[in-house]
Amino acid sequence: MIKRFLLVSATILMLTLFVVVWRTYFQITPIPITPTLSGETEYCITCHTDVAEISPSHPVETFGCVICHGGERLALDADLAHSTMRGGKNPSDLQVVEESCGGSECHSGEVAEERDHIQRVKTTIQATYAGAITNIRYTYGAQKYLVAQQGIFAIERETAREKNPLSVDALTTFDPVPDENPSILEFASNCLYCHISASPDPDAQRDNSRFTGCAACHTPTIGKDINNSDQDENRTPIHQLTTAIPYTQCNTCHNQGNYNLRTMTFDYRDDKPFDRLHDYYQPIAQFTRCEWTLDCADCHTRHEAMGDGNIYSNQAEQEYIQCRTCHGTIDELPLTKVLTDPEDIAFRLSFLNPVIDLKIGDIIIVTDRGEPMWNIRQLPNGTFEQFGKASGQRFTFRPVKGTNCEQDLDQQESQYCHQCHAVER
Amino acid sequence: MNSNSSDNNISRRDFLSLATKFILAITSFVGLGAIFRFLEYQPLSTQQVEFDLGSTENYPIGTRTLIPEAQAILIHDEDGFTALSLVCTHLGCIVNNNPNGFSCPCHGSQFSLYGELVKGPAKKPLTQLRVEITDDKQLIIYIV
Repeated sequence: MIKRFLLVSATILMLTLFVVVWRTYFQITPIPITPTLSGETEYCITCHTDVAEISPSHPVETFGCVICHGGERLALDADLAHSTMRGGKNPSDLQVVEESCGGSECHSGEVAEERDHIQRVKTTIQATYAGAITNIRYTYGAQKYLVAQQGIFAIERETAREKNPLSVDALTTFDPVPDENPSILEFASNCLYCHISASPDPDAQRDNSRFTGCAACHTPTIGKDINNSDQDENRTPIHQLTTAIPYTQCNTCHNQGNYNLRTMTFDYRDDKPFDRLHDYYQPIAQFTRCEWTLDCADCHTRHEAMGDGNIYSNQAEQEYIQCRTCHGTIDELPLTKVLTDPEDIAFRLSFLNPVIDLKIGDIIIVTDRGEPMWNIRQLPNGTFEQFGKASGQRFTFRPVKGTNCEQDLDQQESQYCHQCHAVER
Repeated sequence: MNSNSSDNNISRRDFLSLATKFILAITSFVGLGAIFRFLEYQPLSTQQVEFDLGSTENYPIGTRTLIPEAQAILIHDEDGFTALSLVCTHLGCIVNNNPNGFSCPCHGSQFSLYGELVKGPAKKPLTQLRVEITDDKQLIIYIV
């Protein structure tokens, strides 16, 4: 009897131990990292060894993964580990960006230090879509003036910032339901893809794949499949943030086609561009050589693209760079400044995208709102050199003053320059 | 013939006894393995805070010695020993040591040869670490 009891007990114990050994053998051995910023160990790279470092400014040893992405830092089960992630694969989505990328030392800091990226981006017309909404509502009689009242999301006036006279105080959320006009309802159902809070039109007839939020611009996606990265084991996820933004990324929204105001749908351009010259702008667009050889970000500034914290009613109020910003007029040279302060933001921007080696004493162009064109430096002979932020390519150009140009001083918009300098396609 | 056959047959009692011994042996073996594994278990290492750098004679005056395991640099000049943390006071990246001082590869902060802030975005100098010299002239630095 005792022997039988011993046999049964030993058998049960042996089977239990086998199960334990079996499970232990197949258990994943965690690979820990303890990022200096959080000081808390996390196991994410146990599975995500193939993910490239997102940028030189965000090394994984310093930031880890959880501080941006959220998630359960010590979980080895994929579902559990991912259960509390912010924004799915994209923590920069505007709904969660404050938690992911914010913080006074990161991207929601002091206005004076230009560290208020998140606050500014949320007010930019690329996020509010206030320009299109205002135009449509005005056109179909839902509002009396061409002044923004509604945006994709509501924004309250931020009192800490000096207000631009062109800007409005606040926006309410665009709500097409009370508007009985069918065109506005059609607009609401068909035309709300081109702002950085929304995913692109799934039925687009062109390659328009991009993320939302900061990653809409700062994560180049053209030619990459942003949806199937988990399904294809040969494809690593897109994990990149850069300030070297090529025009192709801007064109995931821009230059895709035109609104058809009659049917209130979007008509995609149907040309088949075979090179940069033909791909850059839509067939109907006029532009000069410098415009298509450069990338959009080479001329358009941070405040134009990411907002300056003011709420504008249309693109024209937020975009202010003109040809004369860099080329001057027949009477005036472009505005410049000598770099004397090592803390000048021009140095910070050129550090993040080192296409130009700026030094104290260099003369760079500044805009009439005081933003540095940090990638454009004056040469000793009075001409300028410009470095492509995405291409790294060096261009040189001279100011208009002293040339044969006879441009009227009151006609400085690009449409007038295009009369002589437009490129033929 | 019958006799041989009965010699080769094993009784039920013997079989059970043998099986018990066999299972006990296997169980003991697996159990011992489990105990060894338990004894070998290494919990997550806690951060080392104290670093014994050896004799002071190894660091003559005028030397600047990187201590990678402590993410620090030991400076010996006329005023004595100074240890600086190489962790940037902005966001915690490890600064590079260069002939003019230290520069952060992440966001561009710069520090002088003695860790004073030269250029932001960091707002504070590099952290000075506690250095102790024992009675037998051994150098110890503490990273907290």
